[in-house]
Amino acid sequence: MQFKDQIDFIRQHMKRNKLRVATTILAATMGCAFLIVLASIGFGLHQTITNDVLDNNLVTEIEVAGKSGEETDLAPSEIPDGEVQKMREMDHVVAVVERTQPDADTQVAIGERSAYSRVVLSSMEEEQKSGFGLSEGKMPAAADEIVIGYHMASQLLTEAEQEKQANGEEVTGFSGSLIGQTIEVQLTPYMNEGDEKTEMSSWEFVVTGIAKEPTKDWMTDTSVYADSSWGTVFNEELGLQPGYENILVYADELQNVGGITNALKEDGYYVYSVTEELGKMNVFFNALKAGLIFVGTIAVLIASIGIFNTMTMAVTERTREIGVMKAIGAQPKLIRKLFLMESAAIGLIGTALAVAISYGISMLSNWLIPIIVMSSLGEEQPENFTLVISTIPWQLVVIASAISIGVAMVSGWRPARKATQIDIIQALRQEM
Amino acid sequence: MIKINGLQHHFKIGKKGNERHVPVLKGVTLEVGKGEIVAILGKSGSGKSTLLHILAGFMSPEAGSVMVNGQETAVLRESEQASFRLANFGFIFQNFQLMPGLSAFENVELPLKIQGMNEAERKMKVQKLLEKVGLEEVAGHYPNELSGGQQQRVSIARALITDAPIVLADEPTGSLDSETEKEILLLIKSLNKKLGLTFVIITHDEEVAAVADRQYRLHDGELVKGEQRYAV
Repeated sequence: MQFKDQIDFIRQHMKRNKLRVATTILAATMGCAFLIVLASIGFGLHQTITNDVLDNNLVTEIEVAGKSGEETDLAPSEIPDGEVQKMREMDHVVAVVERTQPDADTQVAIGERSAYSRVVLSSMEEEQKSGFGLSEGKMPAAADEIVIGYHMASQLLTEAEQEKQANGEEVTGFSGSLIGQTIEVQLTPYMNEGDEKTEMSSWEFVVTGIAKEPTKDWMTDTSVYADSSWGTVFNEELGLQPGYENILVYADELQNVGGITNALKEDGYYVYSVTEELGKMNVFFNALKAGLIFVGTIAVLIASIGIFNTMTMAVTERTREIGVMKAIGAQPKLIRKLFLMESAAIGLIGTALAVAISYGISMLSNWLIPIIVMSSLGEEQPENFTLVISTIPWQLVVIASAISIGVAMVSGWRPARKATQIDIIQALRQEM
Repeated sequence: MIKINGLQHHFKIGKKGNERHVPVLKGVTLEVGKGEIVAILGKSGSGKSTLLHILAGFMSPEAGSVMVNGQETAVLRESEQASFRLANFGFIFQNFQLMPGLSAFENVELPLKIQGMNEAERKMKVQKLLEKVGLEEVAGHYPNELSGGQQQRVSIARALITDAPIVLADEPTGSLDSETEKEILLLIKSLNKKLGLTFVIITHDEEVAAVADRQYRLHDGELVKGEQRYAV
């Protein structure tokens, strides 16, 4: 029998039992849709958390937090320059930035305005290679030039404005551009035990650029980015101990972050990168998704009972017809194939409907649930944050379809086998 | 064409563990030549249907052999039996055994679909045959919209559509009135003459058997040759 004729044959039989077939398809649809929607929550949450991690981090950045030593571990500031240079020479490394913060209280001032700040000392050349982002201006070219944080202007307040701000009133801060302006950076060493007073020292710098706005709206950047050569000056002038240092290694592409991270680990460095965080998260979310798919499969199995019943009844009802077909020369394997195709068709139609419905439910829940959650909390959804409740990647569609159609065919297997075993003589004796 | 030799078969009757073996065929031997009509007469329960079922390959004999066109049918596997039936036999049943969900045209077309013939070729073939058996006007009708005679004509057309050389007819007029019975018997006779088909007819009706070139009677599991008649 040609394939087209087999399809016609099945279609005719399904049309004759419209209601029963429709309810079975409905059960298959519900089972498969439940599986997809349930698993899509796992995929959705995974995406939300991954997006959040990627938004909060420079994805190509690898932080070196120290190195295991023979006797004691080395802090980043204790890692010899030669080894940092070796990191720069690694494949796919575009820059290695050593950032130091002086161990002192920092304020910046321009005229009557001042703001709390922190000084970040680094090689501006390496920062530029690492892709340090500016919203305005250019990177420093001379030692007395600096880049300031995006929010510096708004935080430079007069004493009157500081009082207003303390009273909860809104203040605008410095108006106009800070590019080209000279600002004073005041450092006061932290008081140690026994100190009665510490002396403040100040230096003047020219602002050449303003850093890019932080990715999160709750982050405030009032830093001063100055050349690393100032570290020695500050320490000697103020008698400071070397401040906190961190080393950041930048890869050329996200896909190389994992390789560089592993290479550094093998060399004994303590490293942290976004791939580390994502790796741990992926293990958790993959287990969660597998669990949800397993639970969803139970619904598909329940639906398969309906398919089994429908096909068993179809075989019983059509015993005489099957007998006639066998009598006039139909092969048993053709009979089996026709019934298997019918159960597969039920599974296929149910799956197609389930995929369409699941996409609808997914879109609806992504639109509606954040609104409900935020309104119940009385807050607006933060900028740069999208709460994804459910997402249906093509892989989920493939997995769910394979499970649903596979289970449908397995359900139809026994009735199909029963059909091939029908005795022609008994079947022909049945009344119409 | 058909050689039946020493066919034996028995049925078990009674409750399990207390069954009785009743022989229905006790060494039946028969030869049917090409283009012959042979009628097997017998009372109900005489074993004539069992003989037909064994001949068709629906069941296997306990002893003896059936050769059709030189092929020993009992040695064929189930799938080979099906192919053999499709190529060699057409069937006419007492209660027509038409598919209720298929039109007259589709019922006749079914064996060709099973054969895997392409649509254009089989449509043409079915159309021609329906004209030959006088059913062209009711081709689109479903079995429940046809009279008994028309249904049996559809059944005959279905038996002939594959050009199988042998037609096995089990009580072909058993569900028909006497007028329609005559029509169907005339049709069988004319198809036999025009197409040279071989018919094996199982019946309990002497008048139906009268269409045959040779008649046999199954009595106590044995085949007894009856007189040769040609008139209908």
